[in-house]
Amino acid sequence: MASRSTTTKSDPSKDPQMVEVQGSHNPRDIFAVIDTLKRQVAADRCTSIKKRMEENRQKLIGITNHVCNLSKVRGNNVVADKNIDLLTKRQTDALGMFNGFDVNNGERDNSSFQEEVHASSSVLLGTSFGSKSAVCTIKLPEVKTLPPYTSWIFLDRNQRMTEDQSVVGRRRIYYDQNGGEALICSDSEEEIAEEEEEKREFGDSEDYILRMTIQEVGLSNAVLDSLAECLSRKPSDIKARYEILLKGEKDLQCSKERDAEDDPKLDDSFLDKDLDAALDSFDNLFCRRCLVFDCRLHGCSQDLVFPAEKQTPWSSSDEEKVPCGSNCYQLALKQPSIATASSPVHDSFQEKPIDSSVSAGARISPRKKTNGSSVGKGQKSNQSESASSNGRNMSESSDSEIKPREDSPSVHHSSTPPKRKLVGKCEVRKRNSKRVAELVLKSMRKRQKKTVASDFDSVADGCLRPRDMKLRSNSRKENEDASSSSQQKVNSPITRKSRRMESPVQDSQNVLLAEARGPSEDNKNATRTISKDILREEEFVEESTYRHELAGDKSWKAIEKSLFAKGVEIFGRNSCLIARNLLNGMKTCAEVFQYMSFTENKPSYRSADGANSLVEGHSKDAEPRTRSRFLRRRGRVRRLKYTWKSTGYHSIRKRISERKDQPCRQFNPCSCQSACGKQCTCLLNGTCCEKYCGCPKSCKNRFRGCHCAKSQCRSRQCPCFAADRECDPDVCRNCWVGCGDGTLGVPSQRGDNYECRNMKLLLKQQQRVLLGRSDVSGWGAFLKNSVGKHEYLGEYTGELISHREADKRGKIYDRENSSFLFNLNDQFVLDAYRKGDKLKFANHSPDPNCYAKVIMVAGDHRVGIFAKERINSGEELFYDYRYEPDRAPAWARKPEATGSKREESVPSGGRAKKLA
Amino acid sequence: MAKTGTALGCEPVIGSLTPSKKREYRVTNRLQEGKRPLYAVAFNFIDDRYYSVFATVGGNRVTVYQCLEGGVIAILQSYVDEDKDESFYTLSWACNIDGMPFLVAGGINGIIRVIDTGSEKLHRSFVGHGDSINEVRTQTLKPSLVISASKDESVRLWNVRTGICILIFAGAGGHRNEVLSVDFHPSDIYRVASCGMDNTVKIWSMKEFWTYVEKSFTWTEDPSKFPTKYVQFPVFIASVHSNYVDCNRWLGDFILSKSVDNEIVLWEPKTKEQTPGEGAVDILQKYPVPECDIWFIKFSCDFHYNAAAIGNREGKIYVWELQSSPPVLMARLSHMQCRSPIRQTAMSFDGSTILGCCEDGTIWRWDANVAP
Repeated sequence: MASRSTTTKSDPSKDPQMVEVQGSHNPRDIFAVIDTLKRQVAADRCTSIKKRMEENRQKLIGITNHVCNLSKVRGNNVVADKNIDLLTKRQTDALGMFNGFDVNNGERDNSSFQEEVHASSSVLLGTSFGSKSAVCTIKLPEVKTLPPYTSWIFLDRNQRMTEDQSVVGRRRIYYDQNGGEALICSDSEEEIAEEEEEKREFGDSEDYILRMTIQEVGLSNAVLDSLAECLSRKPSDIKARYEILLKGEKDLQCSKERDAEDDPKLDDSFLDKDLDAALDSFDNLFCRRCLVFDCRLHGCSQDLVFPAEKQTPWSSSDEEKVPCGSNCYQLALKQPSIATASSPVHDSFQEKPIDSSVSAGARISPRKKTNGSSVGKGQKSNQSESASSNGRNMSESSDSEIKPREDSPSVHHSSTPPKRKLVGKCEVRKRNSKRVAELVLKSMRKRQKKTVASDFDSVADGCLRPRDMKLRSNSRKENEDASSSSQQKVNSPITRKSRRMESPVQDSQNVLLAEARGPSEDNKNATRTISKDILREEEFVEESTYRHELAGDKSWKAIEKSLFAKGVEIFGRNSCLIARNLLNGMKTCAEVFQYMSFTENKPSYRSADGANSLVEGHSKDAEPRTRSRFLRRRGRVRRLKYTWKSTGYHSIRKRISERKDQPCRQFNPCSCQSACGKQCTCLLNGTCCEKYCGCPKSCKNRFRGCHCAKSQCRSRQCPCFAADRECDPDVCRNCWVGCGDGTLGVPSQRGDNYECRNMKLLLKQQQRVLLGRSDVSGWGAFLKNSVGKHEYLGEYTGELISHREADKRGKIYDRENSSFLFNLNDQFVLDAYRKGDKLKFANHSPDPNCYAKVIMVAGDHRVGIFAKERINSGEELFYDYRYEPDRAPAWARKPEATGSKREESVPSGGRAKKLA
Repeated sequence: MAKTGTALGCEPVIGSLTPSKKREYRVTNRLQEGKRPLYAVAFNFIDDRYYSVFATVGGNRVTVYQCLEGGVIAILQSYVDEDKDESFYTLSWACNIDGMPFLVAGGINGIIRVIDTGSEKLHRSFVGHGDSINEVRTQTLKPSLVISASKDESVRLWNVRTGICILIFAGAGGHRNEVLSVDFHPSDIYRVASCGMDNTVKIWSMKEFWTYVEKSFTWTEDPSKFPTKYVQFPVFIASVHSNYVDCNRWLGDFILSKSVDNEIVLWEPKTKEQTPGEGAVDILQKYPVPECDIWFIKFSCDFHYNAAAIGNREGKIYVWELQSSPPVLMARLSHMQCRSPIRQTAMSFDGSTILGCCEDGTIWRWDANVAP
């Protein structure tokens, strides 16, 4: 940057050109303005650095003084046992010696600028003091050094390399013996160029200059050009940035204004999202193969595969009859009956479910208000407004001062509704009935709307009727006991009045009957006047509820809706289970029930049979869901290009397993929704379909597993074994895993106690391997217990890296003469250099006692090390690395030293292994 | 990873190479220790009785000297590793709980030697590093804690008293090549900065692991049974340099670091609490050091961090005033006969004496002229 030189200059304000510039857009003037600004920025920077340095200095003074005191304390504390401290003794000895010596050689100091004298005197110093004060050398006894290694982390399963671990495209400097520098990790120029092309962000000060300049001289092409020149950017970039800045300013202003208007906007970002957005992290981070979050093996952002075969919704017959909680829809059905008990209007059963569900919805509103935060505002205000207006009327009419929001605790506190009903004290009932009064109001309105829509007969209600009847009669009895409460009295008039006015469908006879059942006349009069008030009030409330109604399911947030749809997919139409498992704390069972009936009544849903349509919509989505944040690496399918057979392949040494003429192919689950055809990615890729694929089990490309009944799946007779696969309890018929000691119940047995021995990697049934000094060279792996032939010993784990990456790393490793690369399949190489298992230290031998084998375990390739023969305990493990003959390492070659800095350091050969 | 911005308004202040002549130094002694290169020299800042005592390492030798008045250097103790192949690269003064001065040295063998200079005996040897040790530093607030940087790409925290390897800073977020330098934060006892051949400076925090550090003081069992923990992720990664970073030191909350670019860089790590590993680097100042383009040249500061001395490839020493802005070159020390690369310098407590140890095995002593 050009401004570097200007940092020393100061006082830009005195620049005379500043003033003249205003009118003219002469490039020189523009430059002058920019220059001034630049100088100002630079000066500001200098002062700020100065300030920070000074702050830091002040802080540091305190610290060093503290440390200084510490050292003084240390010095004083040990004076007591002086005689032990030899260093102090030597110190005083030397001082004494020096004083004596100094007398003899007094001139030495004076002639200190002559080197000859210096040299001689200092040598003299050293020797004379050494001999006189008997400074003899103290020997540090030799300690056996460890064989060299690089710090590594233990892995019990393979991990895919994270992006930041890549050496591709990074410059790595390698010093060879002669001190020369060689770049070995960026062999193509493009790689570096690519990296540098990153777009430079605009800094604060650049923004400042930009803004100020344009403010000063206006916006024109000339200005932009000169700005671009000064900031060494493109004019178009400058312009774009300026627009961004302008916009930013506006936004800032707007947001300030907005802040003034309403500040306490609750941060409900989670609830505002829809399910797909909320599940984004789940989809991205949850591995469906390993069933863990943040799977290091398959990585995030896997392709979502939806199985073609759906499980049937789970149904439990025994739970059906028991209410799931205080807010169960079954109880909600009961409640309106309390209200209507005194005015038994409801002759028609058809109305009841609606009634109940509506009342449940309304009832929840005061609770929402008290709970506050979790539920959105729009819908709340509607309901709570109406509720409170009702409540106000209520409290006017009655002597009880309890407000609607106060009843919510009582609802919460009563653990189970039936109990509450039975033990119900008068007070509770009072509250209840008051609440019920509001409910009735609401239900009236709702019902009216519903009748207009004549959308009443929901299929679900049928089965509930008899049961409901019973409940109702119970509650009616109770309510009769409690009918002295004033609220109760209010109810009936309201009911009557509103009915009369708004629902002509209703049988007025019933209403009269209700009146008759009501208590004393004067009370009635009083309540009537009030009910008029209520009616007036209602007009307003009505309106709001109407709006609410029109929106239909507005009170359900997008996420709740999608959760509901998922719930239907999982549990069928069981509101109890849906509410409990998916909408816990968001919606009650009754609300779910209400919503369920609502969605069913809506024509759009009805045509597609309710929520099922949602489910199908999901599964029919041919394309996998798109994701937002994470980059996917797996997109590129690389075949053969980098396999060890291709010609362009550098001679990087990678271990390979036995019997592998052709590298295995990496499996990626296909998302076929029907039997796999020509488009199936598995087929195209030449792999079998696995249980993780979307295709149905009948897919022809699926690996069928084995049906072995003998041989413990340990011979080639077992199709799994023959295909270098481990058996899979999900696929094979007789291979299964028992768990626990049987106390948890034995799973239904398969295959008469058949014991599969081909699942050792899956079950991690490995041998204890010890790490120690090898008898051959460097480190070695040893076996703790003796094993028989073909026994599984352990897994060779490591980082999964691409072949391209492996090529780069291989070059580095080969120079260090220690490579832990292992060819896994056509896509991946295992690198155990920094992450792996102790078995990575097993040495190479042309006559080994072990062998390595790449095995498919549950869709993943893994490397197992097996005993080639019987191995006794304590024996060192060897296997044949099977390097290609032409690129086998020259172990005999003298290893390169690492630097110019020191004497020739000869690393002890790393892990010298003999040639295959 | 935090990258450096050289954008407008973020330029560092660069010191001028004109010596201020504030303080002048002259050679007062020269000592030929042997033929093998000397890689480290350090004064004892741990105990005020020994402020004038310094030690050097080179080859398989560790030697303890004392600076006396008038440029005299007295040899106090000398230790030789029985393994002739050992080549010590680094040393640091530490001390036992009872205040006994320890000398900690490490080198090519990867074994850390803890010498009890009070009894002139080897106190302990720490075996564990997989390759050579490039630097050892002592926690001044708790001087029985030392930290080592190794070629095996790890940094390890040790308790010299109990001989326990407490923590290993390596793994998924660790260095990807030799670690060349490491330093404790002067006041934040949890913080450590390390740098190395992967061109990065990494700041680590052991706050979450502090219980293990405390446990190490009271551990009575076999040290090998101690539950050594891996710290796999640094709190901050900075790419300030584009080549090997061979020395870094905290200057308060700032960091001084140098690569092979003929300069020491002072920068501020701006960590973000929420997202460890990320953050920005603000390069504040640069202290040019000509002819300092080979790696493994380390600088040193006086006790109060007022000045730093650094040698170069040609045997010259540059003394920079660290905390002034813009930086001031206090002195440039050169001597006709001193032409060999100076691997490390040592500044005495008040900066009045500067020692330089050279690749040709000589120790040079410079003393500040006493103001008339």
